[in-house]
Amino acid sequence: MALLEVKEVRYAYQNGKPVLSNINAAFEAGKMYAVLGASGSGKTTLLSLIGGLDVPHKGEILFEQENILQRGLAYHRRSHVSLIFQSYNLIDYMNAIENAELTAKKKGLPILERLGLTEEEAKRNVMKLSGGQQQRVAIARALASDTPVILADEPTGNLDEDTAAGIIRILKESAHELNKCVIVVTHANELAAQADTILKLSHGTLHEI
Amino acid sequence: MGTVKRAFLYVTRKTGKSILLFLILLVMATFVLTGLSIAKSSREAQHDLRKTLGGEFQIAVDLSDSNPYAGKIVDDDGSVELYTKYPVTREMIDTVMAINGVKSYNAETHMFVSTDLAIFPGNVPVKAEYSNLIYARSVLDTRNSSFFQSEKFNLIEGNHITENEKNAAVISRALAEKNGLKSGDTISIQGENTVTVKIIGIYEILKPDPLYENIVAYEKAENQIFVDFQTLQNLSGNIPAGFGSVTFAVSDPAQLNQIISDVKNLPSIDWRAFEMITDNETYLEAAAPLQKVQMLVTTMMIVIVLVSAVILSLVLTLWGRSRIHETGVFLSLGIAKGTIISQYLAEVFIIAVFAFGFSYVTSNTIANQLANGLLQQTTPVREEQAGVVTQIKDGYSGEDVSISIKDNAAPSDMSQKQENSVDGESAAALAETERTQETQLHTTVGIYSMLQLYVIGITIIIISTGVSSLTVMRLKPREILSRMS
Repeated sequence: MALLEVKEVRYAYQNGKPVLSNINAAFEAGKMYAVLGASGSGKTTLLSLIGGLDVPHKGEILFEQENILQRGLAYHRRSHVSLIFQSYNLIDYMNAIENAELTAKKKGLPILERLGLTEEEAKRNVMKLSGGQQQRVAIARALASDTPVILADEPTGNLDEDTAAGIIRILKESAHELNKCVIVVTHANELAAQADTILKLSHGTLHEI
Repeated sequence: MGTVKRAFLYVTRKTGKSILLFLILLVMATFVLTGLSIAKSSREAQHDLRKTLGGEFQIAVDLSDSNPYAGKIVDDDGSVELYTKYPVTREMIDTVMAINGVKSYNAETHMFVSTDLAIFPGNVPVKAEYSNLIYARSVLDTRNSSFFQSEKFNLIEGNHITENEKNAAVISRALAEKNGLKSGDTISIQGENTVTVKIIGIYEILKPDPLYENIVAYEKAENQIFVDFQTLQNLSGNIPAGFGSVTFAVSDPAQLNQIISDVKNLPSIDWRAFEMITDNETYLEAAAPLQKVQMLVTTMMIVIVLVSAVILSLVLTLWGRSRIHETGVFLSLGIAKGTIISQYLAEVFIIAVFAFGFSYVTSNTIANQLANGLLQQTTPVREEQAGVVTQIKDGYSGEDVSISIKDNAAPSDMSQKQENSVDGESAAALAETERTQETQLHTTVGIYSMLQLYVIGITIIIISTGVSSLTVMRLKPREILSRMS
């Protein structure tokens, strides 16, 4: 059964230009999905709608058969989804543990250690960590919040090849071992190839490939 | 992670901003607390001043033509004597005293009497018929007499004459010694009737009549005999004894107008026969600088609060914009807008607790100096007041301003005279004015002012944080995240 469903979603930019025409998709727990598409195709917009950062102009997004507007978008963001961004979006006056525990239901340090950070690094201010380490902290924050859905927007965009591979492995493990529904937006075919399902967004519609 | 913990982390990690905010809040709190403390001490000083200076009004017989009970007699030598058939009576005094806020009264009157006693001669020649006359002075209670109030006289033996005394007299030690009298002896006084009175007290003269002054025998301090009111009535015969004027003291000069209004509405007094003279000028003059200080401080407070709110709003708005990234992250994590604003509020509150607390020290340091600085600024007439004092001092001669009052039906040589006791009043005015000049504001910061500061400060912070958060909070999370990227 689908954990998350996107039904007949339409969205246009503020200037009226349509970006998503009629999106239909279903996402299950325990799987990693990759959404491919060219720049400006609406990948991030789709992720924002699924993540409850914005509202579709038409159609609906269901979490466990319930429209996410029902309980409010803040509740959806807090309880159902975790977002991982290309630019990490960490809080600069906190250390790694504090960032991981921002909305945590679990302890941050064990997760950070599992993702490869030492205790000393975990207690360091995040601005003093490398890009890869910062992205690990962002993933740790998503995992610590223990939401069933993880949404990642170009999570390896700023990372070198080896580090990116490590991040992809973590996301994949999160889907398969932690039974998370991981949706990754990317234009990198190498990353997409690691996903269980690849979806392509073009001309405002979404197709499985 | 809870809101307060996030706020605490921000405050402790962003030390530069925290110190800057601390200084802004400290300056704001110091001014507000100083203003509150000065306003409070100014209010208290005014209150104390009211209690100290008091205020008074006088009900005096109106001897003008508009008084239907008044008349005049022209003597053979051309001198004019004014009189009234309706003086201020004891019943009138009791009625006025029953009014709430009237504290005490001073009613004095005197009449010429003759006596067999050897008296002290004056240095001004008078008609033969007046040469052996002296004043029998009557007050309901000699303790209230202006002579004793001003400490010109001081009782050294026996008792004062009180309200229910009968056939009692208080004389000077000099007169007693000259005539071999002591407490308990009796003397005879002749008015319309002859009355025998018992000496119940002896006074000494602390402020003798000036040597260079021309003074008639009956005005000499040594010759003054105080008798009870009943004796005065007995001396007057059929003429009703009364007072030419009575001065009432009120406990709070701020209520003087209300009390006067109440007195004027008394149905038992025929106001065609009297006039009302009010005196709260001493209080008004003394209170004026304090009132100005309070007004100045109130204005200053309003300006400070407004300016503080604007500055704090601007600073927090600027910082809020620099925190748009953080706000977006919190929103993307599902933290509600209200919770985010609560964090920003908590951050300012944490700093404010310390800033407001520290302002206790800074305010205490400057409040007293600022208060008295303002007081001096608002007291430009200080030297003029000193001039007034000197004038009063120069005029302090003990001379009586007398108005003769006679009964129309039975004119008599024995005239009751009303004395405007310049001696006592001058001394009191002098003391009051001097006290006014010494008025200082002793300003200390109290718990109540601190509580007020916290209420005002928290209000300013809530408004400022609310205003500063508006811009960011109106944005959708995606808009914020778009701006971030």
